[in-house]
Amino acid sequence: MAEALSERNEVLVKNLKPAESTPVPTLREIIAKRDQLTESTGHYYGVTELSLRDSDPIKYERFYAKMHSAVLAARESARFVAASPGSREMGESLWGLATAEGDTLAVSLGFLSHTAILPVSIRYMANNDYDVNDGIDDGDVYAVSDGLTGGVPHPGDFYTYVPIVVEGEVVSWAVGINHLMENGAPVAGSWATFSVDTFMDGLVCPPMRTGRKLKQESWWKAIWERRTRAATMNILDDKMRLAGCAMIHEAVHKLIDEFGMAYYKRAIREVIEESRRMILDNMKALLVPGTYNGCAFRLVRYEGLQNVWSHANKNTLIHVRASVEPNENGLLLDTEGSSKWGYHSYNATPGGADCAVFLGMINSFSHNTKVTAGIELAVQRHYPVGSIYNPDNEYASNANLWAQTVALNSIGFNAVSRATYSRGYLEESFTIDGNWGAFQGAGTAKDGTSYGFTNFEWLGGTGRGAWCYRDGEPLVWAAWSQIATIGDAEEFESTVPPLFYLGRKLLKGYFGYGKYRGGPGNSAVHWCVEPGQHLALTRPNGGLSCTPSVGLGMSGAYPGPGSFMISARGTNLDELISEGETPRDATELLAMIDEGQLKVENLEIWKTDCPELALKNNDLFVDAAGSSGGWGDPLDRDPMLVIEDLNTGMTPNYNFVHEMNGVVAVQNDQGEWQLDEQATAEKRIAIRRARLDESQTAESWWHAERQNVVTKNFKTEIQEMYAQSISFEKFNLEFCGFWQLEAGYSLEAVES
Amino acid sequence: MTEVIAAADSDRQYILALDAGGTMTDAILVKPDGTFTVGKSISRRENEPLSYRESTSDAAAQIGMSVEEIHSLCAADIYCGTGMLNTILTGDGRKVGLLVTRGFEDITVMEGGLSYLGQSQAEALHQQLHKHTRRLVEPKNVHGVSERLGGGCYQGNIHLPAGAELIPLHEGQVRKGANALIDAGVEVIGILFLYSFVDPIHEHQAKAICESVLKERNVDIPVVCSADVAPVSKENGRLKSLLFQCFAAEQVRESLLAVETQAREYGFKGRLLTLLSYGGAVNMEYPRLYETMISGPIGGLIGAQFIAEKLDLNSVVTADMGGTSFDVGLIIDKRIGITKSADLAGHRLALPMVELDSVGSGAGSVVYVDEYKRLHVGPESAGAKVGICFKYDRLTVTDINVALGYVDPDYFLGGQMKLDRERALAALKETVAVPLGLDVYEAGAGVLDIVNTEMNDLLRTMIASKGYDTHDFTLLYYGGAGPVHMYGFAEGIEFADVITLPWAAGFSAFGAACAEYMHRYDRGSRLLIPNGMSEEGLTDAATQIRTAWQDLERDARAEMALEGVDPEMLKFRYGVSARYIGQLESFDTVLPNGEMEGPSGIARMIAAFEEMYTKIYPAGARFPDAGYSLTTVNLEAIAPKPQPSLPEHKLSGKQPSAEAYVESRDVYHKNKWTKFSVYEMAALQPGNEILGPAIIRDPMTTVVIPPARMMSIDARRILHYR
Repeated sequence: MAEALSERNEVLVKNLKPAESTPVPTLREIIAKRDQLTESTGHYYGVTELSLRDSDPIKYERFYAKMHSAVLAARESARFVAASPGSREMGESLWGLATAEGDTLAVSLGFLSHTAILPVSIRYMANNDYDVNDGIDDGDVYAVSDGLTGGVPHPGDFYTYVPIVVEGEVVSWAVGINHLMENGAPVAGSWATFSVDTFMDGLVCPPMRTGRKLKQESWWKAIWERRTRAATMNILDDKMRLAGCAMIHEAVHKLIDEFGMAYYKRAIREVIEESRRMILDNMKALLVPGTYNGCAFRLVRYEGLQNVWSHANKNTLIHVRASVEPNENGLLLDTEGSSKWGYHSYNATPGGADCAVFLGMINSFSHNTKVTAGIELAVQRHYPVGSIYNPDNEYASNANLWAQTVALNSIGFNAVSRATYSRGYLEESFTIDGNWGAFQGAGTAKDGTSYGFTNFEWLGGTGRGAWCYRDGEPLVWAAWSQIATIGDAEEFESTVPPLFYLGRKLLKGYFGYGKYRGGPGNSAVHWCVEPGQHLALTRPNGGLSCTPSVGLGMSGAYPGPGSFMISARGTNLDELISEGETPRDATELLAMIDEGQLKVENLEIWKTDCPELALKNNDLFVDAAGSSGGWGDPLDRDPMLVIEDLNTGMTPNYNFVHEMNGVVAVQNDQGEWQLDEQATAEKRIAIRRARLDESQTAESWWHAERQNVVTKNFKTEIQEMYAQSISFEKFNLEFCGFWQLEAGYSLEAVES
Repeated sequence: MTEVIAAADSDRQYILALDAGGTMTDAILVKPDGTFTVGKSISRRENEPLSYRESTSDAAAQIGMSVEEIHSLCAADIYCGTGMLNTILTGDGRKVGLLVTRGFEDITVMEGGLSYLGQSQAEALHQQLHKHTRRLVEPKNVHGVSERLGGGCYQGNIHLPAGAELIPLHEGQVRKGANALIDAGVEVIGILFLYSFVDPIHEHQAKAICESVLKERNVDIPVVCSADVAPVSKENGRLKSLLFQCFAAEQVRESLLAVETQAREYGFKGRLLTLLSYGGAVNMEYPRLYETMISGPIGGLIGAQFIAEKLDLNSVVTADMGGTSFDVGLIIDKRIGITKSADLAGHRLALPMVELDSVGSGAGSVVYVDEYKRLHVGPESAGAKVGICFKYDRLTVTDINVALGYVDPDYFLGGQMKLDRERALAALKETVAVPLGLDVYEAGAGVLDIVNTEMNDLLRTMIASKGYDTHDFTLLYYGGAGPVHMYGFAEGIEFADVITLPWAAGFSAFGAACAEYMHRYDRGSRLLIPNGMSEEGLTDAATQIRTAWQDLERDARAEMALEGVDPEMLKFRYGVSARYIGQLESFDTVLPNGEMEGPSGIARMIAAFEEMYTKIYPAGARFPDAGYSLTTVNLEAIAPKPQPSLPEHKLSGKQPSAEAYVESRDVYHKNKWTKFSVYEMAALQPGNEILGPAIIRDPMTTVVIPPARMMSIDARRILHYR
């Protein structure tokens, strides 16, 4: 059977040479034509009329349905080849079909904003004459994981491209993408947290041919085995990507045979132009014109950790800044004012930034259209050269960009949420956060077997922020995948031999408070049992060391709290096991320590990135992530909702909500909380009065703060951050204008 | 002992099968010569024995027999209902309490984060639409118990073996939890511990402790272990299986037993059977009754498999249009497609299930125009109330079919139910035509066009999404509304053939009559067969597999004997679920027999796995270097059961007899009035060809043949659309 299939693929690989009299355009020419037609007409590929659709809509829809079905089927079948839970069921994979230029035509379920960056690889190959020098043949296999040349967000994401070539001309690309469990960087796992440049990012592949005729070359397996710590998983994931691409490749050849090349070439342009038009209509229907600003901050804590690389040995506060402005052609997302790139792992390339930005944009404007490159045409992006989103250094690391780019997405996504709220689409409007977590590492078993791993679970789901009319829900979505799930403990444990769950829970009270509260985040307790020779882990994070994804809560609410983790090393866990009283989540663990029940020799609570944590027998690693923000003033919350949360345990601390929500309650004999309406009303009046007493006028605040700005009274990291941000003209004008600074005001980075 | 399946002796050669759908309860009576009679009644969810009686009486009356006579002559009686699914959807089940591994107390609220099941890509893409399911257990009734087993790791034997006890079961916490649940008034206790599929020891210990507490408290409620309900990996799916069993299955069992009592009162001597979601029939004592969750639609697919075998069709796509939905399934290589995790009503269960895809367009689907002048069809359904033309208060698809002339208002259920065409027309005008500014008939045609197109898309996608080509498929359509809409949902798709049967309306019931009496047994495994394994290791592995099969055979014999099956009559199908070491998904591999001796047995098993794998994936996706891992050893136990037949008849001429012609009537078809000839199904003969525009009427359905198309009837009375 295997041979038969191989033969089938041989037949499909139509490496036909062009006829002498038919000049085949190069990729470079193909792309130039696309750009010229699009720019000169304002319509994708110059398609001003949807002639195929309008003349025979049934045929046109049948064509698209077949194309779409091919990518849907590729995922639904190929993902079962995978070794990593992330790829198989957590949405950390995707298959797509693109035009010859890399413009997306159809995508499967999965982390589909990756489609926004397909053109980067294709254009790189075109500009470097891949098709001219050694040629691009039907069924070739290309691997890509480089941010600069392939647009890949971080090398933990791996892409497989398979060209579909007919009569010598590249007509489309099948693409498969997934998130690896381990990619061979000095910091083991999937996000090389402490990289200072790309040479520490792990297995970074600019577009390179690794196989032919839908088969990988033999040497490619050796790369996985020698350059990563989870070869078996990575090889299976590689096979998974290619299996899906092979299915798409076969389906597209059949599609072209059925509809003819002329129809195919025209229809794929119409599909993209049609979706672009629908997206513009959606934007006009949902947005209120204006400028939606947002900002967030992320600390890079490298000082003291990078003594080997002195140029990186400092802390950095990353300024994530963006504005969204609807316009005639869609909207502009402008990141000018964000920090410059640095010698750390948190830089993005434009492709990586796109991948983040399009999370919210596709959710908001593409969901009821054919999901294609139309969204990329409708969302204009500005990533200033030299900024953290477009480094002017080709060796900048991008290994852990998601730790800050989720904030960029949240700013854009929240802009849409504010707009829909303004237009009255209340059912569309909620607080968006991107508070993700994961842990990664490597170990060596007692028998010397080495392995690497990543536990994606808190990447697979977060609480949803409050709606503008009701509370958020627990573990119901993830901004980066429409089919998120946290997977199963029984599967994650199978990937990390010495780690066992003692708890996997919602963390009660762990959300942003407001008139409506966010959905709670999650917490897990991992127990190290007989680690053998070595086990160590780190934790990349989108909610660590940072302000919440949105610097401000929605309509007066608190944003979701940042994530954290706890290492409890040297414990009396055996005693607790015998009592059946092991800690189940972060809050309980800390309470048990406070009460003396759990004894810990080395307790560390990490709210910033931590160095590699080595674990011994009975050590505990506890994480918390996935919190979400509230909506509205907490004093406007219906007191009965507060009582309900107390009685269900959703808010475990009465004293806290007493002050937060201004609610007075007492417990009855059965331990149930009951509202004291009168006292609550009085409490709320008192809190509001105290707010007024504590506040100052905007004018006096401005004067006091301005003095700090004028005298440059900043912490080192903040001064450097502003120095970088005001080096960009737009933010300089905004900053200097707001503080009414004299011409020539400048800031210099301060040596720490 | 009560007979589970009456032997097909000379006295009892009838087979009765019923499909109690959301709208109609169909009964199919298979006569000794293999021919059929179909009975029908409105489904009465509140009184299933009554609709059972009405439907079987209707079938019996058509051949001039009493319902008692039929039951006394009946060899098998199969009943498929939707009661369990309705219980889940309406939340009207048992009050459940759960004991779970300490630290996993929130698992029922978290649901693994799966909040988009059943959504289309467009819906899932818009995350505002993600939501959790209706809870099947109150969070306060979930208690943690200190215990832990390990599950082993994919790297092999580099750490603790699978099943190693990390934390012993804490008896005190089990007792405390059980007491709390009794105090809370739960009606059933479920137990879910991690890795119970590897070793159920902790769950079974906890169950024994619970039962002793219940005895002390003098409370009689069941205690159910996940390892006994779904002994497979991944705790979230296993939890849902456990919850379905606890919440719905026991309650529905009572209702099904009431139907059985009715059947026995009529003189039926065997046990009433129902269908498993992966095919096969079991009786109402079956311990894992939640596995019969969607028994109704399964019947159609089993029937389609039967037809595929009889007609030697390798690829069949089924289209079942009833009152509430349009369901599409595939038969490939004469086998029903099975998915290993079932998504039902927003839940993902650890349950093998036939693969079905659905849209919420049925004949009873409600049609309305919203304030933005957008037309909507479904998902609400009139159910047994049919439409505004009968006893419902909103416009439905059937109303439009009546208004436009497709369905004869005086011949619904053969005239038993009179429909009001004028009311349907008025509602169509008011609900759709006026808001959209259309002529009333144009509006009706537009709605039907939308409904048909949606179904057409699903058909196309279901086939294409699996990588198949419609040209290789025979479309088999059925359900009460399937023949009415076939002209639309099959339009523009090129199939090898498009067929239906005279008893299309009762086809799911017919399929139920075709089902095997079969149970499937699974045993979790963590057996690794690495590359280069020693002969000794391979021999040991073969022994483990063989022993597991033998254990399952023993379980099957014991369990099915309790259901009245003679163990000597059982036949077995042997299988494993295997994967390359490192993979997360396992693939069902059917083996030709249960022989498993030494390295050669393992080699045959690996060859079978590779053959199966490369049917699905390109050769490049193989990875034998990694070695193999077995996650489940499984067994299907099959007991003999009478089957219907499809007898061949002598062919008559192409021209239908004069008696077959009923009338001609005007139908507003494709935006114009067209005169359709109407024929009586029962009077048509094999060999006849009916040219469109025509309608073949039957008490149960209406077959629409549009202009320029025809329908020919073959020797088996199968209708081919050309």
